[in-house]
Amino acid sequence: MIDSLDPIPAENIFRLDPKRRQAIPYFSAQVQAGFPSPADNIIETSLNLQDLCVAHPDCTYFVKATGESMLGDYIFPGSILVVDSAIPIEMGNVVVCWLNGDCCVKRFLRVGKMIILEPSNENYSPIYVHKDRDTFRVLGVVTYVVSKPPRYVRPD
Amino acid sequence: MSFLNRPDMYALIDANCFYCSVERSFNPALEGKPVIVLSNRDGCVVARSNEAKDLGINMGQPFFQLAELRKQHDIAVFSSNYALYGDTSARLMSLLTHFAEDVEVYSIDEAFLLVEGFECLYPSYQDLGEIIRAKIDQWLRIPVSIGFGPTKTLAKIANRLAKKTPEHNGVCVLDTPEKIDESLKNFPVNEIWGVGRQSARKLECFDIKTADQLRKVPIDWIRQMMTVNGVRLVYELQGHPCKLLEVGQKPKKSFCTEPGFHRVTTDLAMIEDALTAHLSRVCEKLRRQNSLAGCLTVYLKTNRYRKTATGLPDKQHNPSRTIVLPHPTNNVLDMIHYAVGALNEIYAPDYHYQKVGIMLTDLVSADYRETNLFTAGLDEKRLKLSNAVDKLNQRFGSNKLRLASQQHNPEWPMQFQYLSKRCTTRWSEILEAK
Repeated sequence: MIDSLDPIPAENIFRLDPKRRQAIPYFSAQVQAGFPSPADNIIETSLNLQDLCVAHPDCTYFVKATGESMLGDYIFPGSILVVDSAIPIEMGNVVVCWLNGDCCVKRFLRVGKMIILEPSNENYSPIYVHKDRDTFRVLGVVTYVVSKPPRYVRPD
Repeated sequence: MSFLNRPDMYALIDANCFYCSVERSFNPALEGKPVIVLSNRDGCVVARSNEAKDLGINMGQPFFQLAELRKQHDIAVFSSNYALYGDTSARLMSLLTHFAEDVEVYSIDEAFLLVEGFECLYPSYQDLGEIIRAKIDQWLRIPVSIGFGPTKTLAKIANRLAKKTPEHNGVCVLDTPEKIDESLKNFPVNEIWGVGRQSARKLECFDIKTADQLRKVPIDWIRQMMTVNGVRLVYELQGHPCKLLEVGQKPKKSFCTEPGFHRVTTDLAMIEDALTAHLSRVCEKLRRQNSLAGCLTVYLKTNRYRKTATGLPDKQHNPSRTIVLPHPTNNVLDMIHYAVGALNEIYAPDYHYQKVGIMLTDLVSADYRETNLFTAGLDEKRLKLSNAVDKLNQRFGSNKLRLASQQHNPEWPMQFQYLSKRCTTRWSEILEAK
């Protein structure tokens, strides 16, 4: 009794990237005459951390933080940073960059024509980047920080 | 084939000194310094940055010859980090689909794009080229050159011009007859895509030295000279597309592996070990692409640079032996007897061998195997066995499960003295930031 199959409107056709594979959920229950399993109507794929953290897989790098200069941004030694090179850098972003060959993670600030790399730990001082003297290159913006919870130390 | 009767436009995107650029992309301190990348086992130079080319380092030059030069200049040396290059290449190719629907991956660092139907997004091909360059630089920190042309051959020529002439700034567009005429006039015939050394020599005998001259030859004449490939080439140079985009991977037609030993050897047992290991690796590759090999070649090589104790060049012996297998197979167990047999036949004592190589040819798809009436076909049990071995090795690390004759000799696994970190494929080697 299907009399009208909806044609797909043209604006709903998107370009598919053949490189990406999308798992399609599979109805495992057999068809039975009678009352169908109510669970078959609710199908979801299980959650994946990659989907949450990585918006642009081809432009994403994982970087391990080693210092304590960014404690204020919850970046601890050993934290894994998810770095996206496709996001345009805005004032105040936490970025991973190379300054004179050294790889560092800092807050990116622009004051006039000058770039300031600001740590978020008061024991460290900000770094001023001089365009003509320093070589500076940004890897990308930190979009997520993956850390283990700190070890519990019982107060005396 | 567009609606508006516009000719098609192809773009060839090619990363500049790809291996060196990838090393730089994760280590910007190398910018402006000479960088070279070595082949497997750090044997010879396979990639050079422009600065290294300026020092006179040649492609394929044996690494040991550079010792003196390395003392004088600060040359950054890297073993080939195929994990890193492969991953970056995959990212590059995937990112190129942002700019065009049809992308033909031509090699690890080159891709053809059919740039049609994007006129509304980009005002001109020049702009599109500049946007691609800027974006790839932001995303992957890799410099690329882009050539546009109405055929793939012309796009390749445009790419070459973009790379060679600094004024082009990495983008060269051959979209009008005038521009095409201008650039073909001085383009040497031996640099055209698809013209080999022999064809170039033949053409030169007839005083055809530039692409422009080749474009104007009579079709019948070129058919005689260079067969139908020559005809295609001439049409392509005239702006009629004959080579279309090949999207989707073609299976490889032959497999070959020949990493050398750490040092030269005369020991047959050691060569046999290496042969078995190479064979199992190449068979694994074969199974991954679901092919069977019908033919097997084993060859030995001595070191042509080696000198004896008296300072005279060492005696050379480079034999090979090809064996037609009774039935096509991709199983190590089926092949090993033939491979070792061939090796024993060609091996001669007293020579210092540097390499043992194995080549599998006459490949057919595993789905089309024919059964021969007189010989036993492919053993289904063994097929299952090798699949199980592959899976175990994938899970527990390569070479965990191996043939007994494949001694795990730590003396000859690949030597990578100058390997950079595999920072996109291994958690233990990711970048560190302070």
